[in-house]
Formats: sequence, structure tokens, C-alpha cells
Amino acid sequence: MNMLTVQDLRKSFGSFEAVKGVNFSVEKGESYGLLGPNGAGKSTTINMITGLFPPNSGEIKIKDIDVIKNPKQAQKWIGVVPQEIALYQSMSARENLKFWGRMYDLSGSELEKSVDRVLEIIGLTERAKDKVSTFSGGMKRRVNIGAAILHKPELLIMDEPTVGIDPQSRNHILETVKHLNGEGMTIIYTSHYMEEVEYLCERIGIVDHGQLIASGTLSELRETIGDHSKIILSIDKESSNLEGLAQSLTGLFSEKDIQIQEQQVMVFHKEPQLILTDFIQSVAKTGTKITSVNIVEPNLESVFLHLTGRNLRD
Amino acid sequence: MRKIWTILILHLMAFFKSPGVLVLMFVMPVLFSGIFGGMTMNSEQNKPIVNVVLSDTENSGQILNLLAKDQHYEWKKATRQEAEKNVAAQDVAAAVVIPDDIGERISASKPLLDIIVQRKNESYLALSAHLEGTAGLVLRSYQATSKLDSDAFPKVLETITNNKGVTVEKQTIQKDKQTNVEANLMFVGFAMMFMMFGLSGAASTILEERMGGTWGRLMVSPASKLQIILGYLLAYFFMGWTQFAILMTTMNLMFATTWGNLTYLIPFASLVILSVVGFGLMIAGLVKTKQQASAISAVLIVSTCMLGGVYWPIDIVPELMQKIALGVPQSWAMSGFKEIISGSLHSATLMKDTLALVGFSAIFFFIGLRGIKFE
Repeated sequence: MNMLTVQDLRKSFGSFEAVKGVNFSVEKGESYGLLGPNGAGKSTTINMITGLFPPNSGEIKIKDIDVIKNPKQAQKWIGVVPQEIALYQSMSARENLKFWGRMYDLSGSELEKSVDRVLEIIGLTERAKDKVSTFSGGMKRRVNIGAAILHKPELLIMDEPTVGIDPQSRNHILETVKHLNGEGMTIIYTSHYMEEVEYLCERIGIVDHGQLIASGTLSELRETIGDHSKIILSIDKESSNLEGLAQSLTGLFSEKDIQIQEQQVMVFHKEPQLILTDFIQSVAKTGTKITSVNIVEPNLESVFLHLTGRNLRD
Repeated sequence: MRKIWTILILHLMAFFKSPGVLVLMFVMPVLFSGIFGGMTMNSEQNKPIVNVVLSDTENSGQILNLLAKDQHYEWKKATRQEAEKNVAAQDVAAAVVIPDDIGERISASKPLLDIIVQRKNESYLALSAHLEGTAGLVLRSYQATSKLDSDAFPKVLETITNNKGVTVEKQTIQKDKQTNVEANLMFVGFAMMFMMFGLSGAASTILEERMGGTWGRLMVSPASKLQIILGYLLAYFFMGWTQFAILMTTMNLMFATTWGNLTYLIPFASLVILSVVGFGLMIAGLVKTKQQASAISAVLIVSTCMLGGVYWPIDIVPELMQKIALGVPQSWAMSGFKEIISGSLHSATLMKDTLALVGFSAIFFFIGLRGIKFE
């Protein structure tokens, strides 16, 4: 059963076309990641899904409810974690959670129980009475998530929820999301951190320039680049013999799998362990001094590079 | 309804926790009203002194009693030398000399009373009018009794003095009442000006919330746009009313001010507060940042308050300015408050003021709601 269906979604701001015909669907209980660099159109897509503003054209359905026609009906089923810390800084964590709970029709003992449950999930029971303004960036982000899960939404939409926080808080947030997904909550997670998306999401959509350029599981996306690992030899600039290196390596590997730079030599191969010794020996024979060896498994970064010709953080 | 109430309470709590807003909305208007109201009231208590130089005759004594009917001055006897010295030192506003030879002066068509002043200021102009009136009474009394006994003249003067229906007394009652109305209007004016500052600042928190993300979060919650905006506007409305009620009570306790018929005052004040809320919303809808809102509000509020008769009575400004004043809501608000507080209520005038304010409020809300981005 589809929790979310997005069809041919388009949005322009003046002459700028931010989203250009995006299509995807998310099944109930699934965790779906939207990966893309800043300005790719992820947040605009998310804002249209949450009903913040309507698309120019296209269709969005949450549990078969038309979000464009009945946004308020659809919003009951979703929890939204915005990119900003959308909290009242002068209020305590508990006061904030109670306020947002009331906005989702919670009241009385049900509200109190929900607030206690969420404070426990986000690990801030001890600091519940403290003002949000006194919290660290990571703690604020956790309350930001807490405010979105009070009403136990079936679909949780998270827009870059870990921006600008310390690794410890990031881990806590990732574990919380994993836990919520494990309990059956459908997750849509946008980020430009590929490690987070790789860790959390069963399926991933890669967004660039307002278009969904690839979608699938991590292994399906890896397949798009032939599942090749990358062996990187860092070399000493002074001793390197670039011409000799090129001659030596073209005898062993095909030209398209070799990249030679001033301080790095790279070879792409499906089974790096089998060719590693030959590769190192060939480089060493040219008199070039090797300073380190690194094998990089195919990842989303390399998929993105393959698909767009750019790095994710460019 | 619960969501509206939740938003309302949230903003009222934030409002009462904010020292800046509390100072602007309560401390400043009470302080201004206290200082300027106190000055107005004190000016009534510190009457200007007028020295009276007179001989020890019955006629002179009765004329002094007649002069003393005007209670806006403190009438003190003095010798001519003392009086001249006091006038020169500006210790008194003026000195009046009541001559012994009233009859001769009348026969010779000379002025009945001499006045000694250093400068012909505002106080002198008011005093000279009173002296002319008194001299006229003395003249007519003298002419009426010229063929009677010599006792008749002072007796007539005594009768006139004891008659409570004389014009001077009547004018005094009217002036006191007028002064109270003016002071009360000044309190209302201060309240309105600071309310405009406070509420336009509060309304521009919508801009801050948009930047901070809470506005967007509200928009993607199941609360409808109507519920959200009503929550905000009702909070501002209650803030306005709290300020007005506190100011009214404080001024009542400090200066025993009266506010006219509450049946008219409460709905009219509510309408004024509503138009102020609309003004704040309009500013929030027209600008992009809170800083812009503060700058534009300051310029608009001060200039329209000047035009609208908040700082001084609109009657004293040139006719052209009075016509321009019709284009700002404050002039209609002050006119309506004047009608209600003075007690001499003209329904037609109040209705005109009310309709004008309804019109202004409608325009403000229309512009504000169109400008606010619900996303």
C-alpha cells in the first residue's frame, strides 16, 4: 500500500523552475531518502508534500487523500520536521511540545502522556523544564523532531534534520529515526549527507536541478556505476613520474579505469583485492613513492558523481 | 476553538513575559499620562495671583468681592508700592487698582479699574475680560443707584456678588469640566499612541516567526489559516484592551478621572483597538523584516498621531490641517472619545466616528491579510 504518491510535480518561482516533474512513491513502513546537493529542489518538493504551498501542476496523495485539494485532512497523518529549529525559544521543551501537541488535537492526559513519551524518545526528560534557548544545537534539533512525532504520525517527513550539529547528537537523531521506522512509521528523509541516507533509507531518490535523476535501493543505485570500487594510491609529488605511470598502468588496465593526478593515482575495478598487488608494484617500478593506499567501495557519492559529473557537496 | 485559544494564550504569555513590550504598553503611557496629567491638574491648583490695591471703603470692598468671583485667580490685597514691586518681580500676574473716586471717574468717563502688568500675556487677556465685565456691572449699579441713598450702591454690589447665577460662576463650572475632558483625552491619546507602537511591534512577530520556521510549522499543522490568524489577532486585541483598562483604572485612581458612559465607551474603545490591531497587521503585511516594520511604524505612528489630534486638540490647528486629519483614524477615534467622555453625547457624531473607524479597520485588515504570506 502506498503511503505517499507523487506524480509529475512541478513548481516555479517566477522564471526559476525549482521542481521539474518529480515522480516517486513511498510504501507504508518504508524509509525513503531524498538525496541531493543544496538547492537541488528537495525542500521545495517536501514543502509541497506537506501542503505548505501548492505545486503548479502534478498530484500528491497521502493515504489516498489529495493533498492539494484537502491539505488539512492530509496533514493530520503527517509529522513534519522542518530544516529550521521551528520552536519557541523562550518556552521550555515541555511547553513547546504541549503547544504543538494541541495543534494536532491532543489534550488532557493524552497530551501529557504523549509529551512524556516523546521526551523519553528524544532523551530530554531531565531537561524538560528548561528553556529551549538554553539548549545546544543538537538538543534543539531533538525537540524539533519531538514536536513532529507527538501525535504518532503515520508519515514522518524530515527535511535535513541534522544540519549543523555535533556527531553525538547526530547519532542520537539517526538512532531515533531508525527506532521510529522500526515501529512502523513511514519516513521521508532529505539530506545532502549520503552517509545518513545510506544508513537510514531502504530506497533512495537522487535529486538534482529539480529532477529525480535516479531512484532505487542502495545496491540498485550502485549497479548504475557497474559496482566498481576505487583504489586510491596517494603518491609523493617530488618523486612522481606521471608519464612512466601512464605507460606502466595502461599495460595492466583499460584506459577508462585509470585516473592519474599530481598526488593521486586511481584505478576502478570490480574486485580490487585481486589487482591490488599488481597495481602497487606497477607504480613502484616507475620510482614513484607511495604514501598511502585506500580502497573505496562504491557509494552514493560515486553514484552522484557518475550521474551528474559533480560531487554532492559542490 | 481550542487551537485559537492555544495560539492566543501562547502569545499573551510571550507578551507578558517580554519586559520591552510591558514597558512600551503599560509603563510609558502611565508615566506620560501621570506626568502630563499631573501638570494639567497642577496648573488648575496653582492659580495666578493678582494683587488688589484698594482703600478701606465699603465700595472698594464690594468691588473686590465681585472681582473674587472669578476663582481662576488668587486675589491678594497689597499697597500700591507692594503691588508694583510684585509685578516687576513677576511674583504676581497683575495688579488691579480700585480707585476711591468711582463717581468722579464715571462722570469723567474714565476707566473704572486700573491694571498694572509687566507683559500683556495670555493671563492678562483673560483677566482684562473679567475686569471689563466687572467694571460694566459696577457702572450699571452706580447709574441705577445714583439717585438713591449713598448706601444703595454697595448694597447692590453685595447683592450681585451673592447672586450665584452670575455669569462668572457659570463660566467657571464649564471650564473645569472642559479641562477634565481635555486631560482625559490626553490619557486616551497616550494610550492609543503607545498601543500602536506595542501592537504593531507584536504583529510584526509574524515576520520573525516566518523567518524562524514556527509560522511554517503552524501552516503544515491541521490548524486552519483562519484559526491561526484569529489566534494571533485575538491575542493582540486582548493586549490592547489590557493596556486600555489598566490605563483607565490608573488614571481614575490617580486623578479621579471619569470616562463617560461605559455602554458607549467599551464598544467604541474595542473598535479603536481593533483598528490599531489592523494597523499592526497592515505593517506586518507590507514589509519583509521586523526591523523594517519598526522603522515604518515609528514614522507612520508619530506623523498620524500629530495629524490626528493625539498630542494637541485638533481645533487649534489650521483648517487645512483639520481636513487632512480626516484621513487618519486617530482623529476619528479622538472625536469619538471626546463625545463619550464629555458626556454631551451626540449620536450622529459618534455614529460618524464609528463608521469611519470601521472603514479604516476594514482597509487595514484587507491590506494586512493580503500581504501576510500563509506559507
